[in-house]
Order: sequence, then structure tokens, then C-alpha cells
Amino acid sequence: MSTTAESNRDDTPDRLQILRGRLTRSNDDRIIAGLAAGIGLRLGIPIVFARAAFVALTLAGGFGIICYLVGWLTTPDEREYGSMIETDHPPSTAQKFGLALIFYALLVALQALGLWFGAIVWPAILVIFGAALIWDRAGVESRRRLARLARPSDNGTRRSKTQIFFGAALMVVGIVVVLASLETIQSLGPAAIAVLLTAAGFMLLFGPWIWGLVEELTDERRARIRSEERADMAAHLHDSVLQTLAMIQRSDDPQRMTTLARAQERDLRAWLFDPAGDKTGTVGDGIAAAAGKVEASFDIPVEVVVVGDRPIDDAADTLVAAAAEAMANAAEHSGARAISVYVECTEDAVDAWVTDQGSGFDLDTVSDDRKGISESILARMTRAGGEANIDSTPGEGSEVHLRSGPR
Amino acid sequence: MTSIYLVDDHELFLSGVRAELSERFDVAGWSTDVDAAVDGIRKSRPDVVLIDVHMPGGGGLSVVGNIHETNPDVRFLALSVSDAPEDVIAMIRAGARGYVTKSIDPEALADAIERIAAGDAVFSPKLAGFVLDAFSDTVPIEADPELDQLTPREREVLRQIARGYAYKQVATRLSISVKTVETHVSAVLRKLQLSNRHELARWASERRIV
Repeated sequence: MSTTAESNRDDTPDRLQILRGRLTRSNDDRIIAGLAAGIGLRLGIPIVFARAAFVALTLAGGFGIICYLVGWLTTPDEREYGSMIETDHPPSTAQKFGLALIFYALLVALQALGLWFGAIVWPAILVIFGAALIWDRAGVESRRRLARLARPSDNGTRRSKTQIFFGAALMVVGIVVVLASLETIQSLGPAAIAVLLTAAGFMLLFGPWIWGLVEELTDERRARIRSEERADMAAHLHDSVLQTLAMIQRSDDPQRMTTLARAQERDLRAWLFDPAGDKTGTVGDGIAAAAGKVEASFDIPVEVVVVGDRPIDDAADTLVAAAAEAMANAAEHSGARAISVYVECTEDAVDAWVTDQGSGFDLDTVSDDRKGISESILARMTRAGGEANIDSTPGEGSEVHLRSGPR
Repeated sequence: MTSIYLVDDHELFLSGVRAELSERFDVAGWSTDVDAAVDGIRKSRPDVVLIDVHMPGGGGLSVVGNIHETNPDVRFLALSVSDAPEDVIAMIRAGARGYVTKSIDPEALADAIERIAAGDAVFSPKLAGFVLDAFSDTVPIEADPELDQLTPREREVLRQIARGYAYKQVATRLSISVKTVETHVSAVLRKLQLSNRHELARWASERRIV
């Protein structure tokens, strides 16, 4: 235990001296009003013993409750008086022994006065202080040390081991006496008692340690999830961005570089801004996905503009497929440097224009074996109750207009 | 020669654009952060400022706002990797006369700068799409038809731009003059900057510019 003199006020030595003498209720470390913590800090004994003392006194005809209430009323809150300074001189073993004797005498006096809840009190007090001894070792600050119990070679564990052994012994004695006085449990037979004793002792001894282990596991799990996320991101960046950068460095063709960069940009945006990977929700998503595929397959940028985006349905699905075909056609045959796709969704119709400013063609001269236009675009749209118009002038480019929904 | 000023926090991009444009334009200066940009633009008084939307220290938005208070004659062309409508609309409403994405090819960028210098507006297909979206058919009840609605002709011009056509092509396709196309686009820009349509208000309030 270290001496802490942290206070928000500018404490002069005089004031510190006064505060040191004065008992205040602790604000940071309290269960009810912080009185036990205040006493513990004041006397320089572990707070848990002060608490145990109050509980023990309560068994003495409720005397502890009265003590606590009186203490509560007569001690100021440290928030009003500034935090109390822990005593500079932790009590020596002899002083601790003295404190224990005084406490014992107090209990005996109370018993003599008749303030007593019966034969169960003494064993109960044994259990309480046994638990306190163990708890003192297994408190939040020393949980780490307790975890080290598993490694006997470690320094500093012997003392706590002794302490824990002593505490456990106290508790076992107490518990045995308690149980011996309870006829209902006695009737269960010695085997049941033994099981109960073992279980209770085990929980009291190793409970805090197990708790510490569980918490450590949770921390580890959290750290693992974080590192997995990081690994996931690293893997994705490696598969996508780094690969693309490597390909760009090895490429001599500026067009190819541009397309690679664009495809990567699209991919990265999708990954960053739509982590769920849900890319099929709306007409715009469908068009964007189709455009991405065309960009990747034909090394040509496809600029997509969508107005009034809405959820995709069967008719719009057909339109997206036809648009994809139109984009692929333009990419393959037009020789244009870029393709524009403009989609406009209104209440009852979806219009799409796929435009390129490439070589264009004369629709009448397209040979029948090029099924792309006639089958994939025109027939497909007609079957779905839509329409398709192709407008192309040789030398100026082409525009495919698709419309789904009522005319 | 039209003088330009470049503002972008990515040095690499900045030097690339500088190299591309230095033949056609007089590069009056460049800076990589907001404060230096405001000082530099006030000093060198360029015709057109190419401004990045996303920058530390308030972004392009605060540069446009600052300069517009003192030098309303300086024109801005917003240049960004962002396709987010709120970024685009916010820049236009702050006073930029055009918006293009950084993937634009150098020739188109140079044309856009010339157009801005001449006092026209530059709408990329993306921006045209956003505007059509924002001015969609659902008209607010207390609409000011002058500002809150696009005329059918303006709408048609924007559609053509969204379909990837240059102003000249739009003019041919709609059988109007290029000058008329420019007039329509400038009218749309004005509406975009002044309209109170709720979509715009929403975008603007999200970016805290109103």
C-alpha cells in the first residue's frame, strides 16, 4: 500500500496534519457510505478487515449496524473535507494483534451483555475473517499475484500462500462448526457435508482466481478479434490494392494503368463504404456492378450516373442485364475511350442510356451472327415488357436507350 | 493567358496537374493547406482556383468561403476524388462554379478551366446527376418556381450532360446554340446556389454550411 496524498485542494502541511487526524468517509472505495474504507485507511489496515469487523459486530445483536449508523452521522464525507490521507505508519504486527485483541474483547463484552444472536456467531465470525484474509490477498490489486500462484517458484507467493492457508483453515473450522450445529444438514449425512464443504471452500479459495482467469480470457479474446480484423484488412489490401499497384508498375500501357486504377478505386470504395458487401439492393447498385465488370474485362472507364435510385425489381433486373450487354458491346466494338451510363428512375419506369462516342455503326449492316444486340438487348427488353432503341451514327458513336415499365 | 491557382493537400497530384496545365495556363501559385491557400489566392488574384474538397483544416469549403468574402471575382473549380453528393453540393453552394472528379482527363480539365474563366458553369456528368436528383419531381409545397424547380429545357440539358455529352454535342442534339446550353447551365448553377429545396437544405445542413 502506498501513501497517496492526492488532493484537489492546495493542502498546506498544517491542513494535511489536521486531515490526517480526522476520520472521513471514503468516496472512491465505498459499499454503503465509505465508513469502513475510511476506518481502514485511517488505521492502516486492509479495508476488507474493517468491513469484516462491521459484519461481525452486526452478528452481535445488530450492534454493528448501530455503530455504522452512528459513524455515518458523525463522520464527514471526504468530498466535503478533501480526501483523507492514509496513515504514514502502517501498524506493526504487535499493533495489529492489539487491535484484534481489542475487537475480541469487544465481542466478548457484547456476548456477556446478551447482545448476541446465538451459538452460530463465533463460527460465523471465524468464517468472515477467514474470507477477509483470503480476499485481502485476492483483491483487485493483487489478483495478478494470485494468478501467479500457479507458479510456485515465484517470489512473494509464499506469504500469500501462508495467508490463504490460514484463512482457509479459519473458514473450514468455522464452516464445520456452523454445519455441525445445523441439524437439517447433518441429516443429509457426512458425504453431503463433505461435498458441500469442499465446494464452498474451493469457491472461496479459487473464486477470485478463476474470475481473474475468465477476465484475462475475455481480454485475450478481444485482442484476438482486433488482430483478426487487422489481418483481414491487411489481407484485403494485399489481395487488391498491392496487387494492383504491382500490376501498374509492370504495365507500359497508360490505358491499362488507368483501367486498373479505376477498377481498384471502385473496389476499394465498395469495400470501405459498404462493408456488408450488399451490392444488389438498388438499380444503381446493379448498374455499378455491371459497369465494374465491363471496366475490368475491357480496360475502359465506365462513368455511371444514377438519378432517383430505387430498389431493384424483376423488370429493372432485366434492364440492368440489357444495359450490361450494351456496355460490353460498346466496350468491345466502339473503340471509344470511355462509356457513359445514365440511369433515371421515376415512379413507374426506369430509363437507361448507354452512350459511347466511338466509331458507331449502321444498325442495318450488323450481321445476324452478332446476337448481342438483337437477342440480349432488343428481344430481352421486349419480353420483359420494356423497349430498347439503338441510335448510332457511323463515326460519331452510339446510344442505347432502354426503358422498362409502362410506356 | 488565364491564370490559375492550385490547392491540394496531395503533393503528388498537385505536381501532376501543374505539369499538365502549365502549357495552357499561367500557374500563379499553389498551396497544400487551407491557410496558405487563402493568403496565396489573395496575393496572386488568379482567374480560376482549382480546389480540392477534402483537406485538413476546414477543407476546400473554408477556402471558398474565405475568398468569396474578400475577392468575389475569383472563380473556383472544385476537384475531388469524392463522389458524395453532399460534398459536391456543399462546394457549389459555397460558391464554386463547377465540380469535376480527379479522374477527369487533362484535356477536359483544361476545357473546364477555360469555361469557368469565361464565367460559365462546369457540370460533370456526376454533378448533373446530383442536381437532377435534388430537383426531382416532388416539388415542395412552398416552392419558389423561380428557384426550386428546373425548367423542362434545363432538365433536358442536364440529362444530356449526365449521359456524357460535351456542351457542344448537347447543343447539336437539342438543336440549340452552345451559348444557350451555357445559359441553361448557368441558370441551374444559380438555382443550385440559391434554392431552398429541402434536399439541398438537408445536404447543406449535414455539412453545416447553412
